[in-house]
Amino acid sequence: MTTAFLIAAIVMLVAMVPPGVVLCRGDLPASVVAYEFITSVAVMVLALLAQAFRRPSEFEFPVLLAVLLFGSGLVFVRVVERWL
Amino acid sequence: MARDIVADILLGLASLVVLGASVGVAVMPGAYAKLHFVTPAALVAPVLVTLAVLVQAGLSQNSGETVLALVFLVVASPFLSHATIRAIRVREQGDWRENKR
Repeated sequence: MTTAFLIAAIVMLVAMVPPGVVLCRGDLPASVVAYEFITSVAVMVLALLAQAFRRPSEFEFPVLLAVLLFGSGLVFVRVVERWL
Repeated sequence: MARDIVADILLGLASLVVLGASVGVAVMPGAYAKLHFVTPAALVAPVLVTLAVLVQAGLSQNSGETVLALVFLVVASPFLSHATIRAIRVREQGDWRENKR
């Protein structure tokens, strides 16, 4: 286990808290921005955790999450634009 | 040893960037101002983490997957930011173009 990667992952998890508050309590546009921030950081957290624990099965999560969150983010902002 | 130190410095910088951006997203007024602070977390920090992974682990299948995910994040996030600004502007003004309703 590489401690620095684990510490960085924990710090980034903590950094998700303020945008999480914005996501829950802000207006819709601010919530969308906070959602994008959290998704970007979540990909990094998964990459850091995979690197920290060095389990081969975990290295695929950040790749999948990056692809899926990009697609879902585009769909979400389009829904916000047209229907919400 | 030197690799560990360089990787630690890069990870520390990435963490600082994300923490600062997090505070920015929390305290700035309005979605447009908040969106400026998504960019450091979606562009700068992944580059730093990618460099840290490459410095620490070198090129391997596992580190390659990590780098792939982070590079995809760097490439995709500007498109998502653009789409977000467009959506917010359409919501507020009815059209994303200036002086058009």
